Amino acid sequence: MSRFASLSAAALAVLLWAGPASAVLNVAADIDRDTVEINGNLYLTVAVSGDSASVPEPKLPNLQSFNIYSSGRSQSISIINGKITTSVTFTYILTPRFIGQQKIPPITVSNGRETAATPELTVTVTKARQAAGQPQQAQPARPTRQSRGVQQAARTAATRGDQLFLKAETDRKSAYPGEQINISIKFYTSVPLSSNPQYVPPAFTNLISEDLPPVRNGEADIGGVRYAYSEIKAALFGLNPGPAVIRPATVVAQVPAQDAIDPFDPNFFQKFMAISGAQGQTREFITETLNLEIKPLPAGAPPGFSGAVGNYTVSAALDRPEARAGEAVNFSVTVAGSGNLKTVVAPKFPELPDFKVFDTMSSHDVKKDNDLITGKKTFTYILVPRSEGRKTIPPLKFAYFDPHTAVYKQLETDSVSITVQKGGQGAKTVNFNNAPGGGQVTASGSDIRYVSDSAGGDALPLLAAAVLGLPWWTHTAPLALLTLSFWLARFNRFKLANPLLFRARRARSEAFHDITTAEKFIKEGKHNEAVSEVYDSFMNYLSDKSGVKVSALTIRKAAELVKKRFPAVSEASIDEMRDLWQALELRHFSPEAAGAEGASDLVKKYSLLVMRLEKELK
Amino acid sequence: MRTLLLALLLVPAGAAAYDRGELTEFNDMYRSGDYQEALDGYRQVIAREPSNQWGYFNAGNALYRLNRPGPAVYNYARAFMLDPRDGEIRANLEFALRQTGQTLVPEGAPAALHYAYYFVAEAELKALALLLFWLACLAGAAAFLLDGNKLGLAAGRASAGAALLLLLTLAWLGARQSSPFSSAGVVTKAGGTLMLSGPGENFKTYASAPEGRIVKILDTGDEAYYEIGLPKEGIKGWALKTDVERL
Repeated sequence: MSRFASLSAAALAVLLWAGPASAVLNVAADIDRDTVEINGNLYLTVAVSGDSASVPEPKLPNLQSFNIYSSGRSQSISIINGKITTSVTFTYILTPRFIGQQKIPPITVSNGRETAATPELTVTVTKARQAAGQPQQAQPARPTRQSRGVQQAARTAATRGDQLFLKAETDRKSAYPGEQINISIKFYTSVPLSSNPQYVPPAFTNLISEDLPPVRNGEADIGGVRYAYSEIKAALFGLNPGPAVIRPATVVAQVPAQDAIDPFDPNFFQKFMAISGAQGQTREFITETLNLEIKPLPAGAPPGFSGAVGNYTVSAALDRPEARAGEAVNFSVTVAGSGNLKTVVAPKFPELPDFKVFDTMSSHDVKKDNDLITGKKTFTYILVPRSEGRKTIPPLKFAYFDPHTAVYKQLETDSVSITVQKGGQGAKTVNFNNAPGGGQVTASGSDIRYVSDSAGGDALPLLAAAVLGLPWWTHTAPLALLTLSFWLARFNRFKLANPLLFRARRARSEAFHDITTAEKFIKEGKHNEAVSEVYDSFMNYLSDKSGVKVSALTIRKAAELVKKRFPAVSEASIDEMRDLWQALELRHFSPEAAGAEGASDLVKKYSLLVMRLEKELK
Repeated sequence: MRTLLLALLLVPAGAAAYDRGELTEFNDMYRSGDYQEALDGYRQVIAREPSNQWGYFNAGNALYRLNRPGPAVYNYARAFMLDPRDGEIRANLEFALRQTGQTLVPEGAPAALHYAYYFVAEAELKALALLLFWLACLAGAAAFLLDGNKLGLAAGRASAGAALLLLLTLAWLGARQSSPFSSAGVVTKAGGTLMLSGPGENFKTYASAPEGRIVKILDTGDEAYYEIGLPKEGIKGWALKTDVERL
């Protein structure tokens, strides 16, 4: 079964396992072959899928029968109608330690809410074939400057007469943070071993490591002694400027008590097993502690530099050229190249008024060809166009430090455009929440709210409608009332402020009213009452006009008062006023002398005088 | 006066004569997917009670289900104009506007400020202004008639207070004239409406307004055409009155 076929089978298994709606966390494991030689390697592929942006790493069981090396991971995220599906494939290289039927126990994953496990796998480990048929991977790595150094160190150990020894070397002693440093750990033996040795990798300070499988096997002639060796490599990346330490690596091997079997015999493992492991002794080999120097990055980092070190390219793309307003589209920015992609962070996304921007998710594929960590990391932004039209996402900037040229470089993506059509019923608005934890509510869409059972008749809208429904002229009523009240108030104030004016204006009407009364008395034969009525009326008339009670004055004084107040009055009128006054006083105070004819004359004279004075007393 | 006030108080009670059984029947139709039948029922309610916001709201829902975003936006907008405080109405209007590339709350505007701006319906503001006008006039009249009296002074203060509130209400009302829902209409024709350079078919078409878009109505003088404006795009043109429903 080829490796690709295995991966396809694993992916298919993941898809099939993803069938039940309740199972959102799935894991599947597969091996690229069922049978492996003792000196060969085995690929174990573990595919984990889930419905969130991140899935947990599988927990590998304690495999006593194999040495395990991580060979990278590949992650893919799909977002369809707001539903996120993440699938991560972890690849491991297993090196068998014992011949026979070996088992790989169930591999489990857990996200805190769910736990999934793979079935147990069985591998048959066979003896090695003849040397002529050794696979290519078992050949020693091509000689390099570093390997020559390792050989030199090995030669030193060999000259000490060591039959087995372990050596660790790095390809450089100093590097920038994030710059790759390769470490090679070689286990040399000139004697046969009871089993493949057990390898315990070193611990690191201020460094992170990535395995660089597979294990290389080969032969070397050192100091005239023929050694078989196994080489394990790892890529290291410095974290912070300053010293970094590689602590000892350990190999535990079963060494025979006597050198009975030629280690270069192609079947030395079988021979070795045949003489029983009980006859050997367990020995532990360790490397020396290695010290490295992590150099600080030079000054002058461009804006937007977030610590990426390596050699990269950057590109951007949308998952489709057209969408509807309110629909989610995936905008991906891919950073590809060599370097520690795990530490590369998403380029800063600009403020876009045309889009709602939701959380960013990242996935990365790592390759380890030629002992160089390469690959790509993809950042996926969920964009929801707000309105229709042709929308453009401007270029995004990505800055990194190139350790080979020791300069900062800045890249830009191309601008990306999308045609947004008007939103429709099918357009969904989604909210994404990829935060870890259980029991979260994740909106997968939205819709209009249900029809209302309310009968309506809310007071305010109806009251407003009733008020606005009134004829417009009804609203003039308060204004008219206000105007009228205002006028009345002013009139009252004026009247109170000008009492004489109102008395003078009232005098004429009252005088004629009295004349009418007097005439009525005359008709009834009440002459004295008529004269008295005219006399009182005349006094009141003059008092109203002059503003002074004239009945208490003499005729002369009253005449002077009238002349003073109304200078336009004629002398003739004053004379007539005096005559009438005297006649009225005479008739008023000696009524027996008053006849019917005299009373009537007085009324007429008074009437004529009032009319004359009304013209002159203004 | 007493009769008028009594009438104002009694009108809401009388107008709430919305037959609940009938409403339940229409809602059952909606529930069972008979949106057109439900819509016909809701339209009856609207014809009988033009100030019933729920008639418009439910009609908007039925229209939305019938995939008619334009008339749905129109009905939601009418419901919103009658009762802008209701969360359900706001939610559906906002949803329908978003589906047509619009937003209820302008970008950058604080939601709380927008809520306060629309806290009172325009009709309610107008009615409030009228009531304050009545109060200011009547209290003022009482103040004049009771001139020189303590009661007259109190009436005068009440009148001044009402007049101040009236001015504030008028200012609020004035500010609302810039609202997208003031002097506005909704494109209800399926697929949108054409905007011509003049009121007639012989004029050139130079733009189109999509269905559901809220537009400003600038001129209503022509028999068959409205002059409409799209403030966001800064363009205006003439559209058939049958294509645009006036809010």
